[in-house]
Amino acid sequence: MLDPMMEQLLPGFLDECKEIAERVTEHLIELEKAHDQARFDDLARGLHTLKGSAATLGLSELSELAHRMEDVVLPLRGKNVALPGAMTDALLKTLDVWMAHLRATTAKSELPELKPSHKLLEGVRQAVLAVDAGKPAANNGKSPAESEKQKDKEKERSKPASEKKSAKKEREARSAAQPEPAPAEPAAEEDALQGEEAGSWRVRTREVVSLLHEVERLREVRLRLEERRRELERALSQLARLGILAQTAEVRALLMGVQRALHADGEEAGDIVASMEDELKAICTLPVRTVLEPLRRSVRDLCKQSGKHARLSIVGGEVSLDRRVLETLRAPLVHLVRNAVDHGLELPDLREARGKHREGIIVVRVEQQGNMLFIEVSDDGNGLDLALIRQAARDLSIVPGAELDAMTPAQLHQLIFRNGFSTRRTVTAVSGRGVGMDVVRSQIQALQGHIEVHSTPGQGTRFTLTLPAELGSSPVLVVRCGEHELGIPMAAVETSLLARTGELRVARTRVQLSHREQLITTQDLGALLGLRQPEVPHDGQPLLVLQSQGRRIALAVDEVIGDRELVIRPLPPEVRDLSAYQGAATLARGELVLIVRPDWLSGFEKRDAALTGTRRALVVDDSLTARALHRTALESAGYSVHTASSGRQALEQLRHSSYDVMVSDIGMDEMDGYELTQQARRQTELEMMPIILVSARDSDADRERGASSGADGFLSKKDCASGRLIAEVRSCIARRQGTG
Amino acid sequence: MKLLPRLPDELPQEARELLERRAARLRDKPRTTEEESVLWAAEFPVGEDSYALPLETLRAAVPLKMVTPVPLSPPHVIGILRFQGQILTALSLSSLLGGRGWREDPAVLLVVDPGLGGRLLALDCERIPKPVPLPHALVEEARARSTGAVAEVTLPGLHQVNLLDLRRLMDRRASEKRDA
Repeated sequence: MLDPMMEQLLPGFLDECKEIAERVTEHLIELEKAHDQARFDDLARGLHTLKGSAATLGLSELSELAHRMEDVVLPLRGKNVALPGAMTDALLKTLDVWMAHLRATTAKSELPELKPSHKLLEGVRQAVLAVDAGKPAANNGKSPAESEKQKDKEKERSKPASEKKSAKKEREARSAAQPEPAPAEPAAEEDALQGEEAGSWRVRTREVVSLLHEVERLREVRLRLEERRRELERALSQLARLGILAQTAEVRALLMGVQRALHADGEEAGDIVASMEDELKAICTLPVRTVLEPLRRSVRDLCKQSGKHARLSIVGGEVSLDRRVLETLRAPLVHLVRNAVDHGLELPDLREARGKHREGIIVVRVEQQGNMLFIEVSDDGNGLDLALIRQAARDLSIVPGAELDAMTPAQLHQLIFRNGFSTRRTVTAVSGRGVGMDVVRSQIQALQGHIEVHSTPGQGTRFTLTLPAELGSSPVLVVRCGEHELGIPMAAVETSLLARTGELRVARTRVQLSHREQLITTQDLGALLGLRQPEVPHDGQPLLVLQSQGRRIALAVDEVIGDRELVIRPLPPEVRDLSAYQGAATLARGELVLIVRPDWLSGFEKRDAALTGTRRALVVDDSLTARALHRTALESAGYSVHTASSGRQALEQLRHSSYDVMVSDIGMDEMDGYELTQQARRQTELEMMPIILVSARDSDADRERGASSGADGFLSKKDCASGRLIAEVRSCIARRQGTG
Repeated sequence: MKLLPRLPDELPQEARELLERRAARLRDKPRTTEEESVLWAAEFPVGEDSYALPLETLRAAVPLKMVTPVPLSPPHVIGILRFQGQILTALSLSSLLGGRGWREDPAVLLVVDPGLGGRLLALDCERIPKPVPLPHALVEEARARSTGAVAEVTLPGLHQVNLLDLRRLMDRRASEKRDA
């Protein structure tokens, strides 16, 4: 039975051992492939630490087993040979049992039997010794002291059990008096770990998350401070405009002092937010390699089972991620990597026949761009077999046959994420149950991320996981399109330039930009977002050349506002399904800006045809809610609706697009509905467009003024509330058509 | 110098009784309110009708500004906004209720907790709602009659208040979205 004080230390010890066991596993797998002295030394240190720490806690059985593992490994020190496969297997299996025993001890559950592991190790050790017997190996590469110890151990093993016990006691006593000299480096590491452990607290996740939210609020307070400073600046400049500088000199001096202090406070708050974020990041995150490294073992074991050869390459394992995200990512990553071996890679002979290296490559690449995380799992195997997917979908009746035949490769790829889908006819330990990719996708979606698949027959498959990371910021280019400000991740922006008529090739269905001896499809951001009809970029209009997922497009925007470092956050659930957006970020003034997904922008070549064939309406109102309501009514009546928040913007829309009807509010700033109607009527092409004015007021004078400005109809907000908008729209169009 | 109210050393019997009666009335008041058993609701107009939300679901009423429109979103989505560190969706209540407009352009957003695991929503509103007590008995009666997200509570004097069940309203929206 364990000392109660030692028992308290078990959970911490278990965590420490998990890390060591992961490191030992990685070394064993690599040393099986080729000898590496540094790895070998670290492997030995790892086993030594397991042995020593277990003994310290009174876990003598585990200490003894770790000791046996050392016995098997150490004879190979300095021999410059790879670990034999049987030895690696035995050590990995024993390590699994060792950890299972420790977990069971911690959980006070039934302990696994250790005898079979001892037996397994002893068998391997004897085999190694037998092979070694004929070879003089210069003390097996050991120091004289180690060699002496080894001899002691051999002698000890040949003694009867009673003698062994007393010898063990004697050895322990000797160890206590003269501690066994451990290698200098790991001792220092252990000391450091113990020091950290001693000064550490256990904190609930909920509390850390709540602290994260508080830091986010502090960031907003810092933004508000900056806004207050700007307001003060505006007030001061108004005083100057009013020409009362002399009378207000004293007040201005005071306000300027406050303004400076606010600026300094804002800067300090910004520093505090940044430093708190850094500290929290250190608390909440772990390197992604803690999840990825154990996959090497899975790959190795699967290869052994399937007769395949594979190498797992991890790029970006040092990227630190939120522990909760990592925990959820573990299962999807295991699944993707196991799938890559099981479904993706070919058998060595087939690979060779196809001109590939016998050993397949699986690459897991992790990259964090600001607070967006990208994980790619790719292999250089078969690629997704479209015929097999189609057949499986037909057999499983997942998609109707006719629909299946019409599916593009990209659409067929999506079928692998359907519930119950599997191309395997038989169930194996690895696959065939049809439970997997749908779970992977739902787990990624639960993290507010998404998964994409790209595959080339015969060349391989790549899964890309995109996830928001809680901490960090991303460089974003903020642009304007009509009244909307939108962000585009800088990572996708190759360059920005101004449109020149000579560089544009305008065809009937599309516009292309001649850029660096390439023709790139040009898209209008406003049209893609359904804000207006597609426009050919005018001379001098800003164009952004974007690159995403191997595709390039030139994106026409109205204005490039500038680049910002922004924290991108997921959209709320009501709008999260919109594939156009990656998330939203807060600008310095406190308002939100939507971040457009570059792959969405580059992925739709013919989106601009969406509005053709339906009736079009332009709704002009400075009230967001009124625009929403008119849009609801008109869309339900089959209209495609564009909106404008001001008369000026409406005229801009009318210049480029044609509409079947315009519904405009009267009471708007700068240009009211009457003036907008008058200006529209002055343009020949708009003479016949039905215009309906809407007003909160409802008097004969207003109606007369509307009619005299050229409007076809007049509705009060009350009329709209009682559902008369559509009837009026139809009536006005009919009247115009009758007169036209 | 401290000022203290001047009290007569000894109150006349009549005055004492009067004060006692007043004190008793004050003591009784909360008991009476409990007995009436009302549901406090936030009442506001939607077009020509009167609607209400249980006051407990209302978190804040904020000016309708700093809302970012979301192109390509469904028509009932007005946009998104920040509220106490969260990003919320602002929805058009009139549109959600199948209405066609407001008498005045809404100037207020009601931040509400529809009971979706702490997730908040913002709903537009013509004006800041007023708190009204709705007798529990009438509310329960209306809820029993209702099959949807609105329970029609008829108050004495035949004034009708449509009590909203936000959770049902959002569930209905979600199922419509799924069907679409």
